[in-house]
Amino acid sequence: MNNLLDVKNLFKTYQKSTGLFSHKKIEALKDISFHLKAGETLALLGETGSGKSTVAKILVGIERPDSGEIQFDGLKIDCCDHNATNRRIRYIFQEAARSLNPNQKIADILHAVLRYSTTMDNEQRQQKIAETLLLLGLLPEHANYYPHMFSGGQLQRVALARALILDPKVLILDEALTALDPSLRAQIVNLLLELQQSTGLSYILITNQLRLVRHMADQTMVMYQGRALDYAPTQQVFKAPEHDYTKKLLASSPS
Amino acid sequence: MQLLDIRNLSLELATPEGLICAVDRVNLLIREGEVRGLVGESGSGKSLIAKAIMGVLNNRWHVKADRFSWNGQDLLRLPYEEQRRIISRDVAMIYQEPSRSMDPTAPVGEQIMESIPDHVIQGVSWWQRGYFRKARAKALLHKVGIKDHLTVWNSYPYQLSEGICQKISIAMAIAKDPKLLIADEPTTALESTTQAQLFRLLASLNQLKGMSILLISHELETVARITDTISVLYCGQLVEAGETATLLKRPRHPYTDALIKSVPEFQPDLAFKQQLYALPGSIPTLQHLPIGCRLGPRCPNARRECVRTPQLEKQQNHYFSCHFPLNRSDDE
Repeated sequence: MNNLLDVKNLFKTYQKSTGLFSHKKIEALKDISFHLKAGETLALLGETGSGKSTVAKILVGIERPDSGEIQFDGLKIDCCDHNATNRRIRYIFQEAARSLNPNQKIADILHAVLRYSTTMDNEQRQQKIAETLLLLGLLPEHANYYPHMFSGGQLQRVALARALILDPKVLILDEALTALDPSLRAQIVNLLLELQQSTGLSYILITNQLRLVRHMADQTMVMYQGRALDYAPTQQVFKAPEHDYTKKLLASSPS
Repeated sequence: MQLLDIRNLSLELATPEGLICAVDRVNLLIREGEVRGLVGESGSGKSLIAKAIMGVLNNRWHVKADRFSWNGQDLLRLPYEEQRRIISRDVAMIYQEPSRSMDPTAPVGEQIMESIPDHVIQGVSWWQRGYFRKARAKALLHKVGIKDHLTVWNSYPYQLSEGICQKISIAMAIAKDPKLLIADEPTTALESTTQAQLFRLLASLNQLKGMSILLISHELETVARITDTISVLYCGQLVEAGETATLLKRPRHPYTDALIKSVPEFQPDLAFKQQLYALPGSIPTLQHLPIGCRLGPRCPNARRECVRTPQLEKQQNHYFSCHFPLNRSDDE
């Protein structure tokens, strides 16, 4: 099977001015390569500052890499060209409650997404919104609600709806499951697994919860200071970690 | 010896629509030298209980309890100033989000020096007090595992990472040698390696100093790592309490059971990408609490009796409140 997403030799440095003329270079990513097949999950592990969020930002086009190539379905893409790429790779933020506009109804939020990225007319959009809400276990009536009228788990579903309404191939979950309560997290994890099975969606999972990684991810990449240390199938990383940092990280959690 | 003994604590919020009972007759018992976990999802009232113990709830909250005794003294019968004096002497709390609960306008060193109470430096001649305070604050920083105290000393909270801020707030909390340390979600903002450090620190404080700890968290798996006993709350009701090992092995309440089953850590033979166990529905809001057992609408074995609030039953130090408890033994 061909790779859905192929990321090769990604480099990224940030410049930080330390004085009037002096700069300090921070190497956020050093030679990161990975690939993702359809219907698979890649987990990125690492502490803050290890560059895992930078990878996510580059993939959704918030940041531009210094060098490196991103191939989608065998074709080279420029992630900063939002019109072309944002319907393929979508991103979910950590806190759903803060990432939804409190002044807009759910319908308006979802309409806006469709209006900017598709050529659907109003009726088609409405139908699509109703379908997506149903897919995520919400009711079409929820379209007329404001974000504050939902509970935490439902909000996460709305955020998922916003990401999934464009039928993406890759979904990036940047700590999206961390802040949820355990019973809601189980619900959302179930939903994600179900979607993966039925639609072949791929996930890039950025999280600190090792057991969840073990449960959901096919591949795991451990990152440390912008470099990829261990990159292998999840079972292998957990059973026989190569680098000392990975061992330390895995030892920090029971199980 | 019982340090804290709370019976039937109710916290009610006065709203324009009437009183809302956010915490409904909760019992909490902490022995000396015990690490107790308080587990519950958001809105279950766990932080409220902590605040009620500290006495920092505002006037809109009505605190009622049949017994609220600290070290054998019933606190609710004492005047407010006296309550505050006892509690601030004996109990310390680490609040959620350490970097936000510290003073952003003062360097960390100053804040730690300020948190050292006067009785610690009593007997020191006045010209030596400043020096003594400083030395003590440095010792505290070393104790919580910050080796490089010089850089931390002059930094402001925003310049430090969340993990270091958390350690500093622990240093400030243990400055007065409290008998009880309340840690409210101490690990939510931290990474797994820092989390492990923090738990080691809390465990050593408990073992070396005999400090009791009330560990509040929404994640059962983190709490189960270091606690002796656990109380599980749901929507302001105590659903189950008991020793950690027994509670994990043989949960009696459907909610505890669901919590354990929903966490992959506790399910060693869970297949890869298998569906997790999850209760349907979501946590009700405070304005729309169900009557009786508040888990009722989501409970898999709810029956007609569940509209009455179940009484707390006791079986060998294991408390649970359910009409139809799980894992019945043969003699019941």
